[in-house]
Amino acid sequence: MFQSIAGKANLEKADLEPSLKALEDRQMTKNAEEIAEKLCESVAESLEGKKLASFTSISSTVQAAIEEALVLILTPRRSIDILRDVHAAKEQRKPYVVVFVGVNGVGKSTNLAKVAYWFLQHEVNVVVAACDTFRSGAVEQLRTHARRLQVSIPIFEKGYEKDPAIVAKEAIQEATRNGSDVVLADTAGRMQDNEPLMRALSKLIYLNNPDLVLFVGEALVGNDAVDQLSKFNQKLAELSTSPNPRLVDGILLTKFDTIDDKVGAALSMVYISGAPVIFVGCGQSFTDLKKLSVKSIVKTLLK
Amino acid sequence: MVLAQLGGSISRALQQMSNATIIDEKVLNECLNEITRALLQADVQFKLVRDMQTNIKKIVNLDDLAAGHNKRKIIQQAIFNELCKMLDPGKPSFIPKKGKTSVVMFVGLQGSGKTTTCTKYAYYHQKKGWKPALVCADTFRAGAFDQLKQNATKAKIPFYGSYMESDPVKIAVEGVERFKKENCDLIIVDTSGRHKQEVALFEEMRQVSEATKPDLVLFVMDSSIGQAAFDQAQAFKQSVAVGAVIVTKMDGHAKGGGALSAVAATKSPVIFIGTGEHMDEFEVFDVKPFVSRLLGMGDWSGFMDKIHEVVPMDQQPELLQKLSEGNFTLRIMYEQFQNILKMGPIGQVFSMLPGFSAELMPKGREKESQAKIKRYMTMMDSMTNEELDSSNPKLMNESRIMRIARGSGRHLREVMEMLEEYKRLAKIWSKMKGLKIPKKGDMSALSRNMNAQHMSKVLPPQMLKQIGGMGGLQSLMKQMGSTKDMMGMFGGGDK
Ligand SMILES: Nc1nc2c(ncn2[C@@H]2O[C@H](COP(=O)(O)OP(=O)(O)OP(=O)(O)O)[C@@H](O)[C@H]2O)c(=O)[nH]1
Ligand SMILES: Nc1nc2c(ncn2[C@@H]2O[C@H](COP(=O)(O)OP(=O)(O)OP(=O)(O)O)[C@@H](O)[C@H]2O)c(=O)[nH]1
Ligand SMILES: [Mg+2]
Ligand SMILES: [Mg+2]
Repeated sequence: MFQSIAGKANLEKADLEPSLKALEDRQMTKNAEEIAEKLCESVAESLEGKKLASFTSISSTVQAAIEEALVLILTPRRSIDILRDVHAAKEQRKPYVVVFVGVNGVGKSTNLAKVAYWFLQHEVNVVVAACDTFRSGAVEQLRTHARRLQVSIPIFEKGYEKDPAIVAKEAIQEATRNGSDVVLADTAGRMQDNEPLMRALSKLIYLNNPDLVLFVGEALVGNDAVDQLSKFNQKLAELSTSPNPRLVDGILLTKFDTIDDKVGAALSMVYISGAPVIFVGCGQSFTDLKKLSVKSIVKTLLK
Repeated sequence: MVLAQLGGSISRALQQMSNATIIDEKVLNECLNEITRALLQADVQFKLVRDMQTNIKKIVNLDDLAAGHNKRKIIQQAIFNELCKMLDPGKPSFIPKKGKTSVVMFVGLQGSGKTTTCTKYAYYHQKKGWKPALVCADTFRAGAFDQLKQNATKAKIPFYGSYMESDPVKIAVEGVERFKKENCDLIIVDTSGRHKQEVALFEEMRQVSEATKPDLVLFVMDSSIGQAAFDQAQAFKQSVAVGAVIVTKMDGHAKGGGALSAVAATKSPVIFIGTGEHMDEFEVFDVKPFVSRLLGMGDWSGFMDKIHEVVPMDQQPELLQKLSEGNFTLRIMYEQFQNILKMGPIGQVFSMLPGFSAELMPKGREKESQAKIKRYMTMMDSMTNEELDSSNPKLMNESRIMRIARGSGRHLREVMEMLEEYKRLAKIWSKMKGLKIPKKGDMSALSRNMNAQHMSKVLPPQMLKQIGGMGGLQSLMKQMGSTKDMMGMFGGGDK
């Protein structure tokens, strides 16, 4: 696909174009439309006028520059060390509270169970707060997960149709009384444009001031990825009654096992929010939870 | 569903093309590239978009088009047709018959909305007098049976499932048998979510299908899915006989382009869409309105039908053309008034628009406004052709106004009032300048490309307030698909 141009000393835009276009196209097929273009633009800028080391092809120069840019994007501006933060909270005799948020069906509840399992592996005890009081079977789903984990995980629930903000509040109070380390709050899925539901979520967050607002997004998603995450942030900011509203702190990317090489969603989400990908869900069992490998994503994108 | 953006980009591309004086290969290519970009941003599969581009180029053979042909229209039509073709595999899906037992099996990726949609599908048919029943053959997902059970109970639909049994094939067979005995005519089997990468899961699905012999396999797909849509949908099709597609979560922001890919991959039509989490948020799917929406051409249901009924088709294109040029003449106003009167009680037309019921159109005032319209028309009957066809308000000097008042037997003041009304409307129409006009006879033109922003400019402020401001207007328009044609109605209606 790429051809090298021997004997050219300086790169010009026209030289770069075919290589960049090909790269851009490849990223488009992998759900990275939104940023593919911007990326290529910025790479073009950084390369224009640069001297070509002798015998390197334009394509490999471009490739290297893109790789660099991608790694930069995927390496979060802020990082989060959950276990350290959990211990810090413990010292203050407070449970560390995580709220799982996201649109419908992305895997909040399932991955909450995986995170619970992960905490148990690290000898941190957890309480689950069933704050999805809307969707049929949501409470039973969590209960079933807790049962399957075979370690006793207390589920704090008030059934359906209760105010989720209050359920979370009471769960945290109980966890504090019992000296639990972590509270994992499941919430109902909601569309990012659904104002009443987003308002309810911002209330839950405002009222409970969790330590981690974890945005759950699925790798299957296309261009909506960016909209989902940026709207969650935007709505949490706009609809909050607090002067310093809390936004999304981190990302949990699910269904990574279903997308082959179409890994662009990760890239887009991190790119627009600057929030780190804390976990990656890659299957339906408790152990299918990983850390993001920037290297392998970049490799896939450039494949 | 925010298709407007995509529609906007596509129509912008078409617009740019129409601005070009000569439509040559380069202009066409530019236009197609723009459209390609818009479709990709709507998550339509990369390859499909490429193919479509090639097809359109084949159809729109620029050299063969004689001068005078409206190339833009031909290209737009080709794009419309290509998109419809993508969504319409050409053969209808199996349609269950009331009173005759059918088994329908739901399959799809994890979390796509199968369980929720099962109940919606059952509920939809139950309301139409069917006897549906639900079978939960998802023994994997935590809480799956509880979910289906709670949904079914709410909708008062019989269900079958088990907390103990772990073999989905066994449950499916038992459930189907049981409901056949109970003479249910629509037996719906919900299955676990799965993905092509896990072969065992696909094998399980194949077994459930083999054991229950469904008359129809429905593939449920989330509208926000990206480039993975095609491969996944194709894999499902290769394992079971997918016969139709349901696209869910269309109430979200995603443009649903993945749906196009799924149709292409399964060669099956989309038959329903899910538009919310509640049981009744479920709609029959039609290709043409969907593509219209995708192209920002609006989606016309009952309201448009009503307009079609009364407005002579042949009058429309010309009128719309004039409107889009911003030349709002008194004659146009006259014709508008005629249409409104023909449409019968204005209130009735308005009541077809959600949100535009009683408060906005006080019952007693319909007669009043109709009478006023008639009076205005009588006055205009006394006008000369020159006056009717001019869009220059200055033409109407005092002596002309006096003559009209005398001729129609109305007060001077009333004529002036009528002219004020004309000016007000002309101002509104001038804001609609540049509207794109669709193919001949298509009444929807007025509203093409009209978005909430556009609307809010033309609506009387107090009306906008009543609807709930910009936000309210947007959600209202969303509710209505995108019937923005009330525009034309406001034009003369409420005065
Ligand atoms: N293949 C795969 N499936 C997953 C993964 N995570 C979750 N799922 C599946 O996705 C489906 C939906 O998961 P849930 O946890 O119920 O999703 P949710 O976001 O809680 O859904 P709502 O609460 O209804 O909005 C289930 O079938 C899960 O098993 C993953 O990483 N890989
Ligand atoms: N907003 C919206 N949410 C929907 C729609 N259809 C389904 N959902 C939601 O999507 C989530 C997942 O729906 P389910 O019916 O559990 O999906 P599923 O395919 O059965 O999931 P698995 O069985 O785990 O594979 C739930 O939160 C539903 O309420 C829809 O049309 N609009
Ligand atoms: Mg959930
Ligand atoms: Mg299900």
